[in-house]
Amino acid sequence: MSTELLIVVLVVLLVVFPLFWYIGTMNSLRQLEVKVEEAESGIDVALTKRFDVLTKLIGAVKGYAKHEAETFENVTKWRAGLPKELTLEQKQEFMSKMDGIQSGINVAVEAYPELKAEKSFLNLQQNIADVEEHLQAARRLYNSNVSTINSKIVTFPTSIVAGMINVSKKEFFEAETSKREDVEVSF
Amino acid sequence: MNKDLTKYAATKKKSEQSVLIGGIAAIIGAISFFTVPNQIGLILGAVLFIIGIIFAVMGSVKFNKLSTNFKVDVVTELVTSFVDEGKFDPHQGLPQGVVYATEFLKRADRFHSEDFLSGSMDGVQFISSDVKLEERHVERTENGTREYYETYFLGRIFRFEFNKSFEGYLQVLEKGRPVVKRKFNKVKLESVVFNKKFKTFATSEHSAFYVLTPHFMEALMNFEKNNKGNISFSFIDNHLFIGINNFKDTFELKMFRKLDESVFEEFKRDLFVIKEVVSELRLNNNIFKKE
Repeated sequence: MSTELLIVVLVVLLVVFPLFWYIGTMNSLRQLEVKVEEAESGIDVALTKRFDVLTKLIGAVKGYAKHEAETFENVTKWRAGLPKELTLEQKQEFMSKMDGIQSGINVAVEAYPELKAEKSFLNLQQNIADVEEHLQAARRLYNSNVSTINSKIVTFPTSIVAGMINVSKKEFFEAETSKREDVEVSF
Repeated sequence: MNKDLTKYAATKKKSEQSVLIGGIAAIIGAISFFTVPNQIGLILGAVLFIIGIIFAVMGSVKFNKLSTNFKVDVVTELVTSFVDEGKFDPHQGLPQGVVYATEFLKRADRFHSEDFLSGSMDGVQFISSDVKLEERHVERTENGTREYYETYFLGRIFRFEFNKSFEGYLQVLEKGRPVVKRKFNKVKLESVVFNKKFKTFATSEHSAFYVLTPHFMEALMNFEKNNKGNISFSFIDNHLFIGINNFKDTFELKMFRKLDESVFEEFKRDLFVIKEVVSELRLNNNIFKKE
């Protein structure tokens, strides 16, 4: 093998190959970050939907479940919907509050059979179950993406690239223990 | 049913005897035709062979007729006992359009379907039938070419009404991949066991997570465990399609196999799949249906 060829091979092995690997790894990490962001916006959409339906539900049961209605009005400072700049922790807190209000309504309406029989109320209950299922799906998808990127970040040698481009571990969107299972809504 | 079973068993025995005697006579006829050197031997052999063949064919025709009557009686009785508006037609099958609408079965060169079943269970409409799909192959031989057909799907296809509305298309396959050109992405769900057993393809990841809840994934895995063969699920336009490729012709009587309660139980098991899908996958849960 001539000296020139040896130099070329060495350059490829020591410079070109690591460079391509670095670019590929960097791109894949950036793509995963985008996926996590997309999934987080999916959570926002589902939370907003849930907020809207819960608002309607509160309107329907206002006369019956006064306490829950008042609580809801107190906790929902975001009357125009969910603000964009909320942190993940704030979103989790918001979700837990909505969970609490919803279970309060479910308990309260048990005492009013005429309300339970109303078609519009039943429709709202169905909507709630559906948006809840969407929220769970968005949460699971987000956590699945977070799990993928986090495991890449801690794995050597990807961890080196992650450190160089400042990609850090993402936070999981935790659900309450009672919400980890499938949604069971019984009317 | 027991009285009918005895009657069917007796007729089945007669047709089997006819096939057996005919077959033996044909073999003896053929042997004497080729081995006995004189003319009488030749004539006798030929006559015995022809009579044997006629006898065997008659027995076989009788058996097929009996098999059809049996499945009509038994399956219809079973279907009407646990399915609302249950209908069974052994001569009809799912149209090609419905079979290919599953989007996990490629177009066949030879298509056959029979044993059509329809009805509703707990308010969930379904249709189903046996389907056989064959692919044409041409092979080069010394004398030119030879054409033959290879079966790549033999089993049952089901179409159920699905209770969740969602955007896009979703397929959960034990083997292979979708056969249509859509922007399918392979989706990894949280369950490692599920991902090992099935490949999930979806045009929207969110929809995949929306449909495949932890309970639903568990139910699909149980379904796969309870049913032999290669299982495919496809969720399209408020329909759930299920394909069970087990190389089995359902609701068929087997010649020379004892006709007793076990056959009846096997038919029952094949029909029970419908009940299993509706209750285990909770298709009868209406809380997600939009009015």
